[in-house]
Amino acid sequence: MLYKVIKKVDYKEFVSKLISDFEFIGPVKKDIATHDFVRINDFSKLDINYKRTTIAPAKKILFPSTEVLIQYEIGEDIKISSVYEAKEKILFGIDACDVNGLSFLDRFFSEDLIDEPYFSRRRKLTVIGIDRMPSKTNFSLSMGKEYAKDGFDLFLTDLKDRYFVRVGSEKGNGLLSKYAITSAAGDEDFKDYNKFMDTYRKSFKLKADVANLYDNFEQVYDDAQFWKKIAKDCYSCGSCCLVCPTCFCFNVKDDMELNLKKGNKIREWDSCMIPEYGLVAGSHNFRPTKENRLKQRYRCKIKTFADRFGSNSCVGCGRCIEACLAKINIAEDINSVKKEVSV
Amino acid sequence: MENNIYIPDLARITRIETVTPLEKIFDISFIEKEAQKKFNFLPGQFVELTVFGVGEAPFSITSNPNNKDKFQLCIRAVGSVSKAIHALKEGARVGIRGPFGKGTFPYKEAKGHNVLAIAGGLGLAPLMSFLTYVMDFRDQYKNLMIIYGAVNPTNILYKNEIAYWNSRDDVSVCVTVDNPDDKWTGEIGVCTKLIPRVDFKPDDTYTIVCGPPVMYKYVVVELEKKNFKEDKIFLSLERRMECGVGKCNHCHIGDKLACVDGPVFRLWDVRNLKEAI
Repeated sequence: MLYKVIKKVDYKEFVSKLISDFEFIGPVKKDIATHDFVRINDFSKLDINYKRTTIAPAKKILFPSTEVLIQYEIGEDIKISSVYEAKEKILFGIDACDVNGLSFLDRFFSEDLIDEPYFSRRRKLTVIGIDRMPSKTNFSLSMGKEYAKDGFDLFLTDLKDRYFVRVGSEKGNGLLSKYAITSAAGDEDFKDYNKFMDTYRKSFKLKADVANLYDNFEQVYDDAQFWKKIAKDCYSCGSCCLVCPTCFCFNVKDDMELNLKKGNKIREWDSCMIPEYGLVAGSHNFRPTKENRLKQRYRCKIKTFADRFGSNSCVGCGRCIEACLAKINIAEDINSVKKEVSV
Repeated sequence: MENNIYIPDLARITRIETVTPLEKIFDISFIEKEAQKKFNFLPGQFVELTVFGVGEAPFSITSNPNNKDKFQLCIRAVGSVSKAIHALKEGARVGIRGPFGKGTFPYKEAKGHNVLAIAGGLGLAPLMSFLTYVMDFRDQYKNLMIIYGAVNPTNILYKNEIAYWNSRDDVSVCVTVDNPDDKWTGEIGVCTKLIPRVDFKPDDTYTIVCGPPVMYKYVVVELEKKNFKEDKIFLSLERRMECGVGKCNHCHIGDKLACVDGPVFRLWDVRNLKEAI
């Protein structure tokens, strides 16, 4: 990894140039409580000091809530083609756990078979991450996702008068050479960076005890009473999935134009918390109750990918905790698993 | 060349046979010769079929894998896509993606052993790819027994094949119905009732099972009473599937996916998957 430093006075210049030369997406204040990742045309709109999380996750840039997978035209022949986006984009200001969320999706959508609609965008996306102090609901430290070691082109850490820059790719380095005045990071910079990281790691208030979770989760999985308690207030609304940076479930639908000649195969986000998720033709539902669904979601977040990828899909960003109308808290529920098996 | 995993190959329905009031069998061939040539499937695999303008749904391939110029699907009109397929005429164009599924019936492993097939209702259809394969290489397997339960005599699928099996002395077939009519002279009741009569050696027998979700538990109990081995019992499991390629996640069973890791699972694996059966 290359380590560089960019002065605060030069930082504004650097970002402004990126904004004018690229389709630049960053955190913008939407209202008193929420931020969102949207297109930015003016440096003053960028707000990297968002206190809570941006409620919509950055995944929507690569995996939009609705997208056309293929389009077709029915005539003498049936013509089928892909629709790919061609624009270079910069995603700026996502924090470490969100970078880790993107890395998860990168791996997921390339595992076994490459999901071309996703990667057509990913290949053209430059990711510039930034360290921020954790929000109240962020427990990424517990999940081991508070630090991003890859998955970005540049990663900035605020050292008051300057940014410490980790250069993750040649593309990132190219942007620095072209648009920024930087210097190589020295001992003093590393010292301040370490100090920041220590303070940062000590700032996590919410903790989840994941030691032994892999086995303990299976231990409580069939305990109907336990899950009844956990899922008691769940509305099966699916908000947790919509805001999750690593939820990837989708439905595939055909959508025909009124002339019945042209059609699209589209995909749209789905949520495993919605009753119809496990419903098959003939009316059998494989996950009929909210307990079934919540514990399966937890399985996917804190167990399945420990097997498949060696690390869990949940990055501990805490968005689902903020979004849940019933105040269901995954970190507390992880701790409940531990408590349940300890009595 | 397009490498989008969601693009189907174009195919044509070449023949439609109405087999019961609910089910039709469709013969399908790819329009491009190349697509037909590269379409090699294994017993137990499935395809995603698109009815353009309506949608896409997964169906088990029901024909013999050795038949290379077409394949067959046996479809019950029960969902939006399957109803739309039933409305299609011979010659209609559809989209096909697949074949999918790494979990297949043990067509190789079972060679040199007895084969017991247990099917409930439409569950006979997915087993047909395996059974027709076994019949092609009949001398490579030991005893073959097929237990099939249908709701009533009119709903019995593959009547010609059943008659053919009955005509051979190296296949034993037991068909049972829940609701017999006046003419029915065969077995009455659910297919699990017939399992105690199987006299195959447990160590030397591969069992394949496919049926409605509710059936598996009861079949497994009966098989275990007879000491059939967990690693020699194969279950074809159904789940909702949107993509077929392990991305949409709808078909997850515990930590696995029916579309990629299945749809056919060994009972040993199913035991380790929560809520599989």
